[in-house]
Amino acid sequence: MLCMLLKNTENNMNKKIINPEDATNIVKNSIVKRRSKDSRLKLFGRAAIGLAVCFLLILFYSIFTKGYPGFFQYYVTLDINFDRERIDPKGDLSDNSLFDGDASAIVNESLFSIIEPKGRKEKKLAKKIVSSGKDVRIAKMVKDDPGLFGTVTQVKFALDDDIDSFLRGYIKRETPESERRINDKVIGFIDKLNEEGRISYEFSDYILSGSASGNPEMAGIKGAFIGSLLTLSVCLLIAFPLGVATAVYLEEIAKKNRITEIIEVNINNLAAVPSVVFGIMGLAIFISIFGMPRSIPLVGGMVLALMTLPTIIISSRAAIRAVPPSVRDAAYGIGASKLQVIFHHVIPLAMPGMLTGTIIGMAQALGETAPLLMIGMVAFIVDIPNSVVDPGTVLPVQIFMWADFAERMFIQKTSAAIIVLLGFLIAMNALAVYLRKKLERRW
Amino acid sequence: MNSKKNDLKSLELTVGDVFSKNARLKARNVNVFYGENKAIDNVTIDIGNKEVISFIGPSGCGKSTFLRCFNRMNDTIDSCVIQGEITIDEENIYDKKIDVVPLRARIGMVFQKPNPFPKSIYDNVAYGPRIHGLSENKEHLDNIVEESLKRAGLWQEVSDRLSSPGTGLSGGQQQRLCIARAIAVSPEVILMDEPCSALDPIATAKIEELIHELGNEYSIVIVTHSMQQAARVSKRTAYFHLGKLIEVGKTKEIFTRPKHNQTEAYISGKIG
Repeated sequence: MLCMLLKNTENNMNKKIINPEDATNIVKNSIVKRRSKDSRLKLFGRAAIGLAVCFLLILFYSIFTKGYPGFFQYYVTLDINFDRERIDPKGDLSDNSLFDGDASAIVNESLFSIIEPKGRKEKKLAKKIVSSGKDVRIAKMVKDDPGLFGTVTQVKFALDDDIDSFLRGYIKRETPESERRINDKVIGFIDKLNEEGRISYEFSDYILSGSASGNPEMAGIKGAFIGSLLTLSVCLLIAFPLGVATAVYLEEIAKKNRITEIIEVNINNLAAVPSVVFGIMGLAIFISIFGMPRSIPLVGGMVLALMTLPTIIISSRAAIRAVPPSVRDAAYGIGASKLQVIFHHVIPLAMPGMLTGTIIGMAQALGETAPLLMIGMVAFIVDIPNSVVDPGTVLPVQIFMWADFAERMFIQKTSAAIIVLLGFLIAMNALAVYLRKKLERRW
Repeated sequence: MNSKKNDLKSLELTVGDVFSKNARLKARNVNVFYGENKAIDNVTIDIGNKEVISFIGPSGCGKSTFLRCFNRMNDTIDSCVIQGEITIDEENIYDKKIDVVPLRARIGMVFQKPNPFPKSIYDNVAYGPRIHGLSENKEHLDNIVEESLKRAGLWQEVSDRLSSPGTGLSGGQQQRLCIARAIAVSPEVILMDEPCSALDPIATAKIEELIHELGNEYSIVIVTHSMQQAARVSKRTAYFHLGKLIEVGKTKEIFTRPKHNQTEAYISGKIG
């Protein structure tokens, strides 16, 4: 046995050196197997990419087909008699005066003249056909153009969301009246308006210029969009300089010792902390201790800055580490001070990488909902924020809120808002790519 | 070797004349440690005014480390500790009062790998004068750039494309650009750390010729792997081995009549 083993090893020993001809043959034979392995790997890679692209396309298709109708809604065209006495009783076009006016009644009269409702009950139903924002619309029109007074002009008004859903076919005529949100009388009115050619399907002027509203036909994303812009600006202004400064300090200035090691580990850990925790921290520190108001983009931006800081620091450090040491040597060798080396050479060369990290962080911040719920940016705010200290909300929170509402029309509005959010993201990424390309040109 | 050790106690093994009559740089009993490792062991040497001296020796003998002591480039390495004294014009460069910024403006450096900044040729040369405020106005700066490029023998090749990137030049041109960059701040000493090791023979020949010319105006310390190069460009040669300075002398004598047997072994190709 032992003898055999010995012999075996001896054979193996001899086999260790193979003559060139055999080696060539062995390599030739193994080539086929290796090639097939290569092509299998390639195939798997392609399949994975194909699958990913497929899902992406499905996602985009579903969002766009669902969201596209959200940008449109049904309008009714009515002849409005702009009677100054009734719309603007004090005659000074002030908000007070316009509020005291009776614009709604004028709209209703015009509507009644077409559909001719009989009795109180029918009139009450008929009033609800046109969205409750009609008086605001008239007030806005006369404010923009007082010359309208005294004329009879055709004005388009949004239809109530239930009527809108009916016209879209979500509420079916065949459904028994008792189970339908609108009754037969109202359907009769709508048919009448349709016969007169008064109803049109048009690009919504509320979705992009309106803000949060309980009436889905009047709800829009302008408030949330501006809120997002303000929040992100605050976030960028805090996170980018802080992040870059931290990265530069840790990489270029700080001595490598225990303290910097602990800081490094903690920064890496912070990147993995769930975002809602930052929200709770913002609530506890900024709002409870510092007494800052709730729901304002300033606090939102500060919370998001804390959240994106680790991302920016980590990517900036990587970018700084990628700057060739020979450039630093060259600069130091000619007598540049540390500051000059950092600002003349390291930061310009690391900037594309830093920007990439920043944009990734910003994109993350743009889509963040949870921490903002904690600091009250989920409040129902109708006014569009003018500054970072006005209460506001942001796009993802708006989407979150709309997705929670019961009205049918909010589904399309939600999808439309998602499209806008995606557009925002794509625009940001495009900007990042552009900036990177531009900065990389500096050889 | 043992017999010579006793005679040369005061100079710790070094053979030959380490001192120079009109010394510009003086190193006295310099030790360099990387953490626990002793990289340079008690080296004493003078570098004369307008003298080209070459440091030769096998890889890892510490010649580059020693070179980098002269403009304190080792400061950037945290674990590096330097003992002893190095003076320039009788001023200790490791004194606490000394700022490395003006020191490095006085002692320029050219590196092993050509390392132009990723900027234009003009900006590469103008960078030093700009940060040190050496030029009075744009015209003056233009003159400095032109003169430096001329001295580096690069002017004719690049005068028509000063705004194109310095990294787009060939290896030899890049190295001459780096030399021009070092000259532009009007240093007194230029340290060269194997400036030709990444270049082809023709580019090497040009650089050597340049070093020869520059030797009339600057003190030049050149670290090289190539003994032929040392023989061609320098008047004095210092041979390092395992962190120790073994022998210093006139280049001619070192290469023809080395006094130390280790030097002889290296010159004749037995070690290194």
